[in-house]
Amino acid sequence: MTLLQRSDWYDVARDTNWTPSFVSEADLFPPEMSDPFDMPKAAWAEYDEPYKVSYAEYVKVQREKDAGVYAVNTAAARTRFMEEAGQRWHSILKLHFGAVSLAESSSQISEGRMARFGMAPGMRNMATFGLLDEIRHGQTQLYFAHESLKHSPQFNFAHKLLGTQEWGAIMTRATLDDVFLGRDAVTTAIMLTFAFETGFTNMQFIGLAGDAAEAGDTSFSNLISSIQTDESRHAQIGAPLLKLMVKNGYKDEAQKAVDIGFWRTYRFFALLTGTVIDYFMPLEKRTSSFKEFMEEWIVGQFERTLLDMGLDLPWYWDFFLEDIESFHHGMHIGWWLYRDTVWFNVPAGVSPAERDWLESKYPGWNDSWGRLWSQIGENIRAGRTDLTVPKTLPVVCSFNNLPMVTDPSKPWAGKDQMLTYKGKKYYFQSHVEKWVFEQDPERYAAHQTLIDQFLAGRIQPPTYEGALNYMGLSPVERGKDAENFAWAFAGREPRTMAAE
Amino acid sequence: MKEGPVEQARLKTWSALAAQRRKPSEYEAVAFDTHFLNDYAQPGRSGPALPSLGPDTFVNRWYQKNLIDSPLRHDDWLAFRDPEEVTYRRYNIVQEGQENYVAEVLDRFSNEGHDAGLDAEWLTVLSRLYTPQRFVHHAVQMASAYAATTTPASTISHCYAFQSADALRAVSHVSYRTVELARAHAGFGFGEEERRHWEKSAEWQGFRELMEKALVAYEFGETFVALNLVAKPAIDEACVRQFGRAARRFEDSVLDLLSDAILKDSARSRAWTGGLVRFMAQKDGNMDLLRRWLAKWQPLGDAAIEGFCAGLPDGDRAAAAARQATREFRDSIGL
Ligand SMILES: [Fe+2]
Ligand SMILES: [Fe+2]
Repeated sequence: MTLLQRSDWYDVARDTNWTPSFVSEADLFPPEMSDPFDMPKAAWAEYDEPYKVSYAEYVKVQREKDAGVYAVNTAAARTRFMEEAGQRWHSILKLHFGAVSLAESSSQISEGRMARFGMAPGMRNMATFGLLDEIRHGQTQLYFAHESLKHSPQFNFAHKLLGTQEWGAIMTRATLDDVFLGRDAVTTAIMLTFAFETGFTNMQFIGLAGDAAEAGDTSFSNLISSIQTDESRHAQIGAPLLKLMVKNGYKDEAQKAVDIGFWRTYRFFALLTGTVIDYFMPLEKRTSSFKEFMEEWIVGQFERTLLDMGLDLPWYWDFFLEDIESFHHGMHIGWWLYRDTVWFNVPAGVSPAERDWLESKYPGWNDSWGRLWSQIGENIRAGRTDLTVPKTLPVVCSFNNLPMVTDPSKPWAGKDQMLTYKGKKYYFQSHVEKWVFEQDPERYAAHQTLIDQFLAGRIQPPTYEGALNYMGLSPVERGKDAENFAWAFAGREPRTMAAE
Repeated sequence: MKEGPVEQARLKTWSALAAQRRKPSEYEAVAFDTHFLNDYAQPGRSGPALPSLGPDTFVNRWYQKNLIDSPLRHDDWLAFRDPEEVTYRRYNIVQEGQENYVAEVLDRFSNEGHDAGLDAEWLTVLSRLYTPQRFVHHAVQMASAYAATTTPASTISHCYAFQSADALRAVSHVSYRTVELARAHAGFGFGEEERRHWEKSAEWQGFRELMEKALVAYEFGETFVALNLVAKPAIDEACVRQFGRAARRFEDSVLDLLSDAILKDSARSRAWTGGLVRFMAQKDGNMDLLRRWLAKWQPLGDAAIEGFCAGLPDGDRAAAAARQATREFRDSIGL
């Protein structure tokens, strides 16, 4: 064998910058699509992607990974598993595929933008593989969800959700449009590959894969851990860029992008992962609480990565550490109360044993969120399930469209969460959302929450039922209690309930 | 496409595909309408592409100008299908096999001392016309990656994405050979002079002009014409096919075989390019638009071929053959 090593020729393949003369540099790399900070060429020349791969290696490794994920002999086993898995596991899959499949697919746009407008050839090459990776992530997850249609029409939302005005979809788009579809190549590399992928996808894909393996869903576990191996490669597009920014005097710009990207991403994963890990997951299958995952992946690893890079912790870090104790509990109660506005059946996850678990992981839970659940349980046992569905739309954050939910044991810090811009009042989930808005009000002011759309008369008839239809939820797609309220009777007199 | 009913308890496919009569293929289930951006950003639709962000943000004005306001029109862009139905997993299966073949070629000929036997006249041609090719292929990689971000349907975007990766493959082959040639033959500038040739040598200025201009033709329709109907066919015919022919005459078997390998990727690109032209032809006016853009870009393509082939032995014949082949390709798809 006398083949060259990759390292023998790799540098030649990333020596592809040239000086244009038929068009201007500014046309070839418009700053708004490329590098808005106009960093010097010498700074860009320092870009060195840490994870190197050749085309030949890429197609070989990816072919092998897919062979594992699509293995024919697992198909039959999976059908059996799905038939026996409880509603709670189905709900986890429906939520995951709905929020994730088209989000990953759409991030092809982000990777393509970096592959075209990145100023360093190494960055462009890495992003070209990233572009292919995200095709993989969209396609494999859609494939799995499509195979699952035979188990429930709600799996249709894996493909449908992000094209609808369902409130979770509005939230997801608001986040993704801002952090990775609507940014230049440099900011995309920071917000998407560093804040979103380096910071959080580990938790969704490795954390959930661990729980999936516990739950016996080996093929889903393999699928998402295989996806994460791609993420951990292309997530490294941002780090060398941040390094050269800090070194060359662009730390403030880098820090601001990290602060915005991290916060928005955190909200998305608190909703998506926080609720699943602490409530949806069958108790006996749980490996860690959301807070423990956050402490391991974010507070442990990501914090160190940030500091090693010469960046600071985001200015809101103390508030963030408090917030991971409460925010997702509020979101979960929101999922459950508004269960007919989502595309999966929502497990309450608060049977007596689960309440004990929550109290042990989040001391004080019983006295705050637990009180609300006790009231709900009483209503159910009194036969008044009608009282558990609000039937009116909630007040939502003008910025991320999530219901405004606060820890019931704490006063609402209202005035830090409101502002008036050009005559319109905006309400924010927290002072951090407000801060992000203030960085670029014109970017965000026109965002239409579901409530804004309702007030604009776009929801007809202007009723709760009208809103459900507007959100794209047909009656068979709307969520119900995942366990037909059995949890409310656990440890009590057996009683039968009419199906919801 | 209209939403199909979902009331039946068991869906056979996505509701968005249910209205289509035939059973969807795996390709359709995983590639159809998978970018939520497309729901808004289609030529003729009212934007903005990213409704969460202000209509005047740079990115929304960019998509307004370069996609939504495109003069190309179609009633249902999402109905486009890649004729070869290339999914991600299929792409890697095919390309792994291709790359194994290439590795075999490289390995075998290097064991046989292939490069030591290359003729000095040919080595000069290689240093001027072959090793600088990494720039032209990289420009195609960049332009294709951009094009993937600015389409009205994910099925079009995926085709461009694979095309971008194919170009990175070509960059890799050229870079690999650059190092081998540099090790075997000092004094020809291998690994040193490529950028200078690309920026300054007469043979390259036509292709550099074509690619720099194609890279800034940001509008969806013009990108397609400049890149897939003019630049790529010109590069494939001149820099790959005709160059491979010349290699054969100078007994450079490695390049001869590498060229053929790359042309398989070109054939896949042409299949969907033709498919997209036929698809666009369903709407009156689109073919005229494509022809108008072609009238603007074809002279740049011809000049690029001419300039490049002038550096080849028997260059006139090569240029005529390359030019002719680009015309035949366009003829074959009705242009
Ligand atoms: Fe991904
Ligand atoms: Fe990713």
